[in-house]
Amino acid sequence: MSFITTYCHLSADQCLVNGEVICKRERSSADSWFKQIYKEQEFVYPKFYKMDALSQAGFLASELIKRANQGFASRYKDDEIAMLFANQSSSADSDLRFKHSYEHNGAPSPSLFVYTLPNIVLGEIAIINKWYGENMFAVLPKFAPGFFVDYGRILLSTGAKAILCGWLGILGDNIEVFVCLIENEPDSGLDFNSENLLELARFQSVITN
Amino acid sequence: MTYIGAEVIISPLGRTTAENWAAISANQSGISLVKQAGFDNADLYLSKMLDLIDDYKFEKLLLDALAAVSEQIDPAILTSDRTMVIISSTKGELDSNIHDQFGKSIAALVSKFALVNQPIVLSNACISGVLAINAASNFIQAKIYDHAIVIGCDLISDFVVYGFQSLFAISNKPCAPFDAARNGITMGEGCSAVMVSNSKETFRNGALQLLSGTSANDANHISGPSRTGEGLFRSVKRTLENNQVAPEDIDFVCAHGTATVFNDEMEAIAFDRIGLSDKHLSSLKGYFGHTLGAAGVIETAASMQMMRHGVLVKSLGYTESGTSKKMNVISDNVVSQPKTILKTASGFGGGNASLIIRSL
Repeated sequence: MSFITTYCHLSADQCLVNGEVICKRERSSADSWFKQIYKEQEFVYPKFYKMDALSQAGFLASELIKRANQGFASRYKDDEIAMLFANQSSSADSDLRFKHSYEHNGAPSPSLFVYTLPNIVLGEIAIINKWYGENMFAVLPKFAPGFFVDYGRILLSTGAKAILCGWLGILGDNIEVFVCLIENEPDSGLDFNSENLLELARFQSVITN
Repeated sequence: MTYIGAEVIISPLGRTTAENWAAISANQSGISLVKQAGFDNADLYLSKMLDLIDDYKFEKLLLDALAAVSEQIDPAILTSDRTMVIISSTKGELDSNIHDQFGKSIAALVSKFALVNQPIVLSNACISGVLAINAASNFIQAKIYDHAIVIGCDLISDFVVYGFQSLFAISNKPCAPFDAARNGITMGEGCSAVMVSNSKETFRNGALQLLSGTSANDANHISGPSRTGEGLFRSVKRTLENNQVAPEDIDFVCAHGTATVFNDEMEAIAFDRIGLSDKHLSSLKGYFGHTLGAAGVIETAASMQMMRHGVLVKSLGYTESGTSKKMNVISDNVVSQPKTILKTASGFGGGNASLIIRSL
C-alpha cells in the first residue's frame, strides 16, 4: 500500500498545506505572489530569486511539504525519493520571456534560456535536497490522476519508496499547482488512488479515464 | 520479457531507416554549414533538414514516423486499446504555438491513426528519448499496456539556436565528441520511433530484447554536468544491477557525447567508475547533431541498426583522446555482432538515463 501523506496547493491568491490556508496574496504588494510566500514563510535560499515561476512553485511546494512532514526525507536513501511532475503548458511561461529577450531586448538571455525546459524544476529540487532518484516530467492536456497513479505505482515497484508528485500549471497569472507526497509506509494518510488525488487536487478541468 | 523493434529514423541523412543506415555506415554526416542561421545572422554548422519547409513540420514528422512504424508491425496494434503512444520532445511545435507546443500535432496523430489512448509527452531535456523508451517498457511490464510506440522529435528553431548560442555552447566546426579539440555541440533535428511490446511476433523485421533502465539526477547543477559523473554512474550501475548484467557483458556503449568539454569529460569519468572504459564506444552526434528530445530515440534506433547489420559505426569527429579517463572510442567502423549494448543520455536539469538492448 502507498499513501498520500502531505500535500500543497498554490492558486492565484492562496497557498494551502494539507487543505489549510497558510498564506493569502496581497494584491497591492510590489512583490510577486511567489516572493510573498517565500518572504512570509521566512525561507532562506537566495537562488530562489534566480528561478523562473515553474521552479519557484516547485521549490515552495516541496519545502512546505517538508515542513509539514518533518524529517520525512531522512526515512529514505538519497535515491529512493522519485519525482513525477506534469503540466499542460510545458515551460511556455519562460519560453515567452526568453523569446522576448531576443526579439525585443537586443540579445538572447542565457539566464532565461536555461529555464526553457519544464524538467529544470526537478533539477532545482534535486539540488536543494541532494536527491539522486528517478525524475520524470510529462506534458498532458489536463490534470490526469490516472497518469500519476499508474506511473507512481511503477516507480514504487521499481525501487522508489517515496514520490513527490506535482501538477505545475503555470502560465502568466493562471496558477494551478498541486504537489503531494506519496509514501510506502507512513503512519497515516489517504490511499494513493485516482479518486483521492482527484478530490484533493480540486481542479476544474481533469482527465478521469 | 519486453521487446523492441520497428525502428524508424527520419533525419537530414534520409527519410527512411535504410537511407539513414546507408549514410551512417558510410560515415556520412548530416551536418552542413547553414548560412545566416544564428543570432545576428552568424553562419552555423547544423544537422538540418533543409528540404523541410512547410508550416507543420513537427506534425508531419510525427505522422510520417508513425506511418513508417505501422508498416513494420501488425496494423491492428495501432488502433488497440492496449497500445499507447509516448512523444519525446523538448520544444515540439513551439514555432507555431508557443502556448501549447504539442496539442495540435497530437490531435492530428489521434485522428489520423484512430488512436484509442491519449498520447503522453515526456519532456526531460536531452534524456527524454531514453526515459521515454524506459517508461514504455515499464508500462508494459506493469501490464497497463501491451504495446507502446515511442516517437522522439525535435526541430531546429531560432529559439533553440539562439539559446545555445547565448550559452556559448555551439561548436564553430562540426562537433567532435570525445576528441581533444572538441569545442561544443552541433544542433540537429530529426524524428525517430521504436515500438516496445510484450510480444515479439508482432515485429515483421524481428525483435530485439529491451532491458529496461533507470534514470538518476546529478543533484548538482541545472545546466552543467557533474564533475564526478555521479548521476550517470548511478543510472548505469542500477540499470546493470536491475537486469543482472555485469559491466563485462556490455559489448558496445552508445554514449551521449555532446562534444562539450565538460559533458564528455563527465561521461569518461562515469564510465571509468563503472568499469566500462575498455568497451567499444561511440557518440552519434557527429552524424545527426544534437537532436535534443529526439536524440535518445534516434541513437537507440541507430544502435539497433548496428546490431542488426553487425557493424559498430565510428564516432565521427574523433581522432585524439581528449578526456582525463581513457575510453575505447571507435575511430574506424568495427565489424562485430554485439550481443548486449548500453545506451546512455545526460542533460539539463541534471538528468541521466540508460537502457540496455540485447540481441535474441
